[in-house]
Amino acid sequence: MRPHFACFSRTALASVAVAIASAGALAACGGSGGSASGGGSSSGPITIGASLSLTGDFSADGQAFDRGYKLWASDVDAHGGIDGRQVKLTVLNDASNPNQAVTNYQTLISTDHVDLTFGPFSSLITTPAEAVAARAGYAFIEGAGGAPTVFDAPPNQADHNVFDVSLPIADEMVPFVNWIKSLPPARRPKTAAYPMAQDPFADPPVQHAQEELRKLGVKTVYSKVFPEEVADYKAPADQVAASGAQLVVLGSTDVPTVGAFMQAFEQQHYTPKMFIAAAGPDQGQSFTSAVGAANANGVMVPNGWYPGYPNAASKKMVSQYVAKYGGGASGVNADVAEAYAVGQVAAQAITATGGTDNAKIISYLHGGHPISTVQGPVRFDDLGENGSAASFIFQWQKNGSYDQVLPPGAPGSVPILAAKPAWSS
Amino acid sequence: MIGERGAKAGGLVLLVAAAVAFPLAFPDPAVTNYGVFAMIFVTAASAWNVFSGYSGYISLGHAVFFGSGAYAMGIAARDWNITGAAVFELLPLCAAVGAAIAVPFGLIALRVRRHTFIVITIAIFFIFQLMAFNFSFTGGSAGLSSPFLTWQESVYDTRFYYIALACAAGAVALSWLVRRSSFGLRLRAIRDDEDRASGLGVRAMRVKLSAFAASAGLTATIGAVWFYYVNQVQPQTGFDPLFDLTVVLMTFLGGYGTIAGPVLGALLVEPGTLWLNTQPQLAGASEIVLGVVFLVVVLFVPRGIIPTGGEWIRRLR
Amino acid sequence: MVREIYQAVADGILVGGVYALMAVGLTLIFGVLDIINIAQGVLVVLGGYLSYSLSTRAHIDLFAGLLITIPAMFALGVVVHWAFIRRLRGAERTSMTLLVTYAVALIVEGVLYKIYGANNVQLSAPYTTASLHVAGFYLPWIYVYGFLLAVALVAAVYLLLYRSRFGRSVRATMANETAARLVGIDTGRVGALTFGIGVAVTAAGGMVFGATNAFNANSGYDLISRLLAIVILGGLGSIAGALAASVFMITLESVVTIWYPTWAIAVFYAALVGVLVIRPRGFFGRKEVRAQ
Repeated sequence: MRPHFACFSRTALASVAVAIASAGALAACGGSGGSASGGGSSSGPITIGASLSLTGDFSADGQAFDRGYKLWASDVDAHGGIDGRQVKLTVLNDASNPNQAVTNYQTLISTDHVDLTFGPFSSLITTPAEAVAARAGYAFIEGAGGAPTVFDAPPNQADHNVFDVSLPIADEMVPFVNWIKSLPPARRPKTAAYPMAQDPFADPPVQHAQEELRKLGVKTVYSKVFPEEVADYKAPADQVAASGAQLVVLGSTDVPTVGAFMQAFEQQHYTPKMFIAAAGPDQGQSFTSAVGAANANGVMVPNGWYPGYPNAASKKMVSQYVAKYGGGASGVNADVAEAYAVGQVAAQAITATGGTDNAKIISYLHGGHPISTVQGPVRFDDLGENGSAASFIFQWQKNGSYDQVLPPGAPGSVPILAAKPAWSS
Repeated sequence: MIGERGAKAGGLVLLVAAAVAFPLAFPDPAVTNYGVFAMIFVTAASAWNVFSGYSGYISLGHAVFFGSGAYAMGIAARDWNITGAAVFELLPLCAAVGAAIAVPFGLIALRVRRHTFIVITIAIFFIFQLMAFNFSFTGGSAGLSSPFLTWQESVYDTRFYYIALACAAGAVALSWLVRRSSFGLRLRAIRDDEDRASGLGVRAMRVKLSAFAASAGLTATIGAVWFYYVNQVQPQTGFDPLFDLTVVLMTFLGGYGTIAGPVLGALLVEPGTLWLNTQPQLAGASEIVLGVVFLVVVLFVPRGIIPTGGEWIRRLR
Repeated sequence: MVREIYQAVADGILVGGVYALMAVGLTLIFGVLDIINIAQGVLVVLGGYLSYSLSTRAHIDLFAGLLITIPAMFALGVVVHWAFIRRLRGAERTSMTLLVTYAVALIVEGVLYKIYGANNVQLSAPYTTASLHVAGFYLPWIYVYGFLLAVALVAAVYLLLYRSRFGRSVRATMANETAARLVGIDTGRVGALTFGIGVAVTAAGGMVFGATNAFNANSGYDLISRLLAIVILGGLGSIAGALAASVFMITLESVVTIWYPTWAIAVFYAALVGVLVIRPRGFFGRKEVRAQ
């Protein structure tokens, strides 16, 4: 009896000691890999670290972002680096887990002593990660943390170190609303449905659009938030179909959500006259491979960028992406451009400040200097939101062509398919 | 006999000294960061074991307490405008919130046994996660940010390490006390045969509920510390189903129902997982490596490290 | 409003069939072998990917492809049982099998990422978007076929368990493993075959899941808790119970979704807790709880 119930047997003590020792050793050898060159050195390669969700919930976007960062780094190196210095990019996997993201940025900053940090994918991971960068005095340039929590988080309020190169989300539906406004009343949709995924990123633009369209006399026939963490969206999708709304504004965050709604609509023989989703259709081939190119026709999405963006740097990036990863131009995911633009902002800041001193970079980026990226001009406000970004509406047309359609008449815009074609499979 | 005791006491002192000296020996904050997460999970796994390991009721709903502790701290700090290190004074409150939630939770769930109990804990867990999503006082899907702590990078991780270490020490002490006490004896009687224990006069519900609440209070405390350390809680990170699974796996790996088992399991699994993912050459393959390691471990120590290791040592003698 | 409720009930029944296909394997493994198979969700995804490869590479119809994927998954199940689970005995068996199945889940997920990447895919066939038009309602063919398949599989597994020698051995093992061994039943073989069958029927669940949802390697984790809930509600080891519980739960959820989509799952779980407190063995649970 006694030995069995012994509280701390010798075996236990020995094993715990071994565990502590090996944990220390593990951590220490995790630490030994880095070079000791601290941030701000002015020769040798520029080291940049990022954590991305290569596995887990955000893996589809995380892997696209990874390709964007790597494409930028290899382009820079192919053109002689930044001020003659090559770029050495380290990407660690955070498995969509905030604890891992914190560990990764700690490792990149205080063990590997990278010169700069780039952001992870999604606001969920960005908020814990930005705090690590803030404590270490690092600028945190990112392209996929756009929720208000990212900018309003206390570390950013104190250190102002976050810079989001992408489009602020709240106003992204504005060109769409303006277009509806420009239509003669007889051609405007009479009724609209607003299903929204429960997500800080997805809801605000849809709610804003709903408010504006209501003023135009578009009747709301369905407006409900549905949970995101389920594997089946058939019930809410069928209810939208049953509402018979002429316009559907879907507050989505990813491809599976949009795909599930489209499949249910088709099964119900329901074709909304207009269909716009907050995110998902901007994912290039990831989107068309899930829903089918023909079915994508007429589907719209707001964003700041598309593969046909009339910008020399963007065109070059797209052709390089296609050369490297295959597929067609329309297959390039908007995440790639967001990641690439992060790199461009960093490059301009390094060139302008003559090095990688993060304090100088932060003050430069807050200095109101316009920076041009593949996504267009970038200029940061006090909390690091991109005040210069302009929103466009994109549409899938002609079985797999992804085009800018709104605002009408803007450079690059093609005529909009005002009525969504019937489902075709 | 005295020699054995002396050796044990000496070993224990050495262990404590090693744990206290860890951040001094490895001053890199990134290494200390491993220590913080390790201690968070040592606490969580030991707390889980105090209830599930001793009573035999496997809870897959302890994230309810972890998340509630995190949210309790976030909401209290936000509504009462508490900032800086003073936020740590809220820890006892967080523990109380966890224990208070455990009472109704336990009164419902502890009426059923074995597999049904497991599934009820999962169900209640999801109800809590949904409440965090749906209510506005929890910040909805955006979650809550922690108050900003002005600690410098050089001391931030070290201070959190000692706070988490204190929690871990508390959890291990509680495991030890419960194990030695007659209360612990009653818990294990329930584990072995609940009907017989009741027949012998053990007030099963009261015993189970007390252990459940104590375990919950500890879990909520460490949840609050975690929240302050990572600066943010969202419904799916505070109430994370993988948290439950991780804590259970750590305990099973180390040795279910022993004192050292959950400690050992947490010390191996948490830093190991974190470290695997920081290896760029493994990018995306860390899951396969972790899975293979688990399988190999199960092949060699089919009953957990502490129990099987004990057998080996006994055989050697 | 009445129409919407009918529609929601129809959705619940049809989607419930899909969940039943995914849950049958779990209830077999859980009920007979006392193993909580954490890998079930990932195995669903594996089944989906196998069907995906067959249909995109070899242009084999989704349902015909099951003739290949079901035996393949059966073999996988037998191997996992033979290599790892067979060896675990005694008091720690349930706990250590959780570790084994979690490890299997991690490895399968990691390998799927390596092969297919992280982009979401969906199975498509003419019947994944076409519908049967009945009384003003559109019932998608994929769900109708999926539901029929669920009923057929439930019947097949039922016949196997209650009308065959093998089934008698399984039920004996389920009731009391030690006694079964004493009367000469090779419980190791029964365990391996049961685990194999449990994984095999999941191939069908994976195909229908993949034809009704876009998925990637990570999509399985959202499923496991709901499947566990269904299995317990139906009664551990009860095949018909799994079907009944799936339909009941998903219908309830789908009806609540008409008014409160964000609370629908909470109602699902609250109902589960309520039912289990009153009837701890679920709808069709056996009288005697398995001996410890």
